[in-house]
Order: sequence, then structure tokens, then C-alpha cells
Amino acid sequence: MPLIAKNIYMEYPEAIVFKDLNLEVADQQMIAVKTEVLDGGTTLLKGLAGMLDDIVGEVHLDSMDLLHMNAAQRAMTVGYVHEEQGLVSLYDCYQNIALPLQFHTMISDELVETRIFDLCEQFSVDRKLLNEYPHALNDVQTRMMNLLRALVIRPKLLLIDELEGGMSEEILEATIHSIRGKQEENSMIVIITTSHDFLLSEADRSYQIENKSLLEYL
Amino acid sequence: MFVLGLSRQQPGASHEMIEKEGSDRLKGQVNSVSWSGPIKAIINPLANFYHVSMEIIGLISVALQASTLLLNKRRRQLFFSLFQRQVYNAGVAAIYINGIIGILIGTLLISRLFDYLPRQIIEDQFGQIFMVVVFRELGPLISGIILIARSATAITAEIGYLRLRREFQVLNGLGINPVFLFLLPVFFAFPVSLFLMFIYFDVIVYLSSFTIVWLSDPSISFTGLLTSILSQITLNEIAINAVKAILGGMLIGIISIYFGAKVEDSFTEVTEAISKATTAQLLVFFIINVLLSLLAYTQ
Repeated sequence: MPLIAKNIYMEYPEAIVFKDLNLEVADQQMIAVKTEVLDGGTTLLKGLAGMLDDIVGEVHLDSMDLLHMNAAQRAMTVGYVHEEQGLVSLYDCYQNIALPLQFHTMISDELVETRIFDLCEQFSVDRKLLNEYPHALNDVQTRMMNLLRALVIRPKLLLIDELEGGMSEEILEATIHSIRGKQEENSMIVIITTSHDFLLSEADRSYQIENKSLLEYL
Repeated sequence: MFVLGLSRQQPGASHEMIEKEGSDRLKGQVNSVSWSGPIKAIINPLANFYHVSMEIIGLISVALQASTLLLNKRRRQLFFSLFQRQVYNAGVAAIYINGIIGILIGTLLISRLFDYLPRQIIEDQFGQIFMVVVFRELGPLISGIILIARSATAITAEIGYLRLRREFQVLNGLGINPVFLFLLPVFFAFPVSLFLMFIYFDVIVYLSSFTIVWLSDPSISFTGLLTSILSQITLNEIAINAVKAILGGMLIGIISIYFGAKVEDSFTEVTEAISKATTAQLLVFFIINVLLSLLAYTQ
């Protein structure tokens, strides 16, 4: 189930962000994209997921056209981890994580709970945090909840926007290790934007954004 | 100084040319102020009002479309948890303030009536007075003002805050229509809440009025006075109050969402949204009440 992005062109009203971008990712691979401030890392991830309008080009995940699939299909195929915030303030963490499953599937409440508790265990997240509302979380906890929500749907493509901010080396290593474990379980592709050397070295391949495209980062 | 100014304006231009040009521009401005100013001052607010009205009608149609999502059982469960939260916050928790104002109005109404009318007339006509003053007019108006002041402002601020935190985009990313989670519960909960508030208000005004009447004449019967009111309440009266609650509640909710969703980047936009929403809600709610009362009760 490879991911193939062809001739991608993305622009904002004032600037071209990516031009003639091509990317191929094999099944179960983890790709890291080295990003700097405001160089288009978030746009790249959202563009590949089909979350932005007016993207020119093609993005296929297996036989699925990510740029033209409906919102519900995308929500159950692509998991997206926001760099900051990203949770719904009206809900506590448990409800935030359960939300995509409750809205898009008929999976029973018991099964949803099992999935969430399993994820908490795998990612060493304290279950007590599930009862907290987003405003009570720090940056790292918020990102972990984002990650659990992205993983609860068992996505085929996981997009992570700068996981490392504020995380200790120890937590970062453990989290990446757990993501690798989920990759083996669910046959999932991971693309992560980062400026952290550990993540760049841990990934199967690394890229950097240059000249409005992706170049292999060595 | 002048030479410097001249050279900055247009290299090579003479003093007279600049002066003439400036004078013409000034004349143009004066002319445009004198002619187009008042016209614009009339047309712009009307155009703006038309534009906002159309967008609010559009929002109502979006809400009705999103209602089809409620056909799914799981989504209905999600909706009901938010709907209950809104009914509790807007309708149930308002019982304190509605109650206090109801007690004050009931007490004031009867003590004033005692000052102006003989006791016998008050006792005979109590049902009719209560119906005309409280049930038809004061109940809906005061409940609506309370809903706007304590709940609608909160919703506008909440939606503005959700916009600032980009939570609409988060929901879109999850394939969930923000209208379903943020608009629909308010759209349905506000009319229900307003109707509940009408009921609290009428009941509390009656209880406080009865207390005052009973203090002056302990022989007066609770059920007798109540029957005199109930005999006045026709199905038509209930229907008109229901229409006031449905139309008023729905529009108050939609206006809050509309102005809250206009917030883009700054906290100051939230305060501006609250101010604009409250003004529009008061205006719309009073118009609905007066028009419905005139249509329904004018012989």
C-alpha cells in the first residue's frame, strides 16, 4: 500500500509553496521531513492529506485518491496530529479521542473504550488525563492526545506535525518506538515534520524542503 | 519646508499646479460629502442589514440541512449530549434569575394594582389582568432579554473562542461538519430553553402575586385565583407563546453563532461580535414580540 504523490503544486494567494513535488513512500515506512519555521511543513502534510483546497497534482494511497475522497472517508483513512492545540474545547480528552469513531462508525462504546485504553497503555499516557479538558493540558499532553485521536481510527496514513516540541528525549524515543509498534500492527505509513536530529535519524528516509520541493536529507 | 513638500509631491510640478490640484481634490471631497455622504449613510446600513439578513437565512438553511445527520443513531447521541448541555445552561440554570425577576414583577404588579383599583375588581379581573400583562407580554419579553443577556452572549464568546483556536478547522479535518457540533445544539436548545423560561416566569409571577393578595386577604383561594387565570388561557394563547419561543429562540441562537463565527484572529473581535450580536438580538426579539402580539391580539 504505497503512497504516491505526483506533480504537487500548492500556493497561497501571496506565494507558491510547493511546485512539482513528487514523493513515493512504501508501506510501513516512516518518512521525516526537516522543517524550519514557516517553510511549509504544515501545508505539505495538510496538502498530502487533501485537507486543503485547490491542490494541483495527484496523491494516491493504494487505490484511494486522497485529494478527491469525501471528508468521512478521509477522516477514517488519514490520522493527523496537530503541532499545537487541535483538540475540541467542548469535550474532555476521552471524548476528543472517541469523537471520530463515534461520528463516523457504529463501533460500540465498549470497543471504543477498549481501543482508547489500549492506546493509553501503549503510549504510557495516564488514564486520568482522559477526564481532563484541553485547557488543563500542557503542550506535550495536548500533542499526545492528538496522537491518540489520530491512532484510534487505525489510519493507513499518519501525518505528524512536529511531535517533539517540549518533549524530553526519553518520551520522544518511547513515543516513536510505540508508533513503530503501531505501524507493524496496522500497516501504516508515517510522515512526520521535524527539526529534531533523533527523528531525522530514526526515520527510514529523511527529506528537507528546498526550492519549493523535497530533497533527500543526508 | 514648502519646497521640500513640493519636490516630494511631484518633481517638476509648479506651486500653482499643486495648489489647483489640491483645491480641486478638496472641492471633489466637499461635493462627495455633500451629495453622496447622506445617501451612503442611508444606503450602507440598509445594504449591510440586507447582507446580514441573507447570511442568517443561509445559516438557518445550513442548520436545517445538517439536521439530516441526526438520522444516524450515534450522531444523535453526540448531538443530545451537547443539546442537554445547552438546555441546562440556557433554560434550567436560568431559573434563579428568572425567579428573582418574576418575584419582583409579581409583587410590584399586584401592589401597584392595589394602589389604583378596588380590591374586588382585582380579585374578579385577576385572570384577565394576568393574561394580558404577564402571559402575553412580560413573560416572553423578560425571558427573551434574560436569554440574550446570560446565554446568547456566552455562546457568541464561545464560538468566537473556538474560531480563534481554529477548532472549526480541526473538526473539518476530522470529517465532522462544525455546524453539527457547534450550531445545531444551540439552534434547537434555545427555543426549548426560552419556552421553559416563559413557564417559570409565569408560575413564579403567579405565586408571588398570590402571596401579596393572600397577605391582604387570607380568605382568598389559591385554586380560585389559579382557575381564573387558566380559564383565560386558550390554545391560541399557548400557540402564540410557542411561536414567540421557537422563532425568538432560534433567531437569538443563530445570530450568536453568526457573529461568533465572524471572529478571525484577534480577541478584540470577540468583544465586537458580542456587542453586535446582542444589539441585533434585542432588536429582532422585540420586533418579533411586538409584531406577533399585534397580529394575534389586535381585534
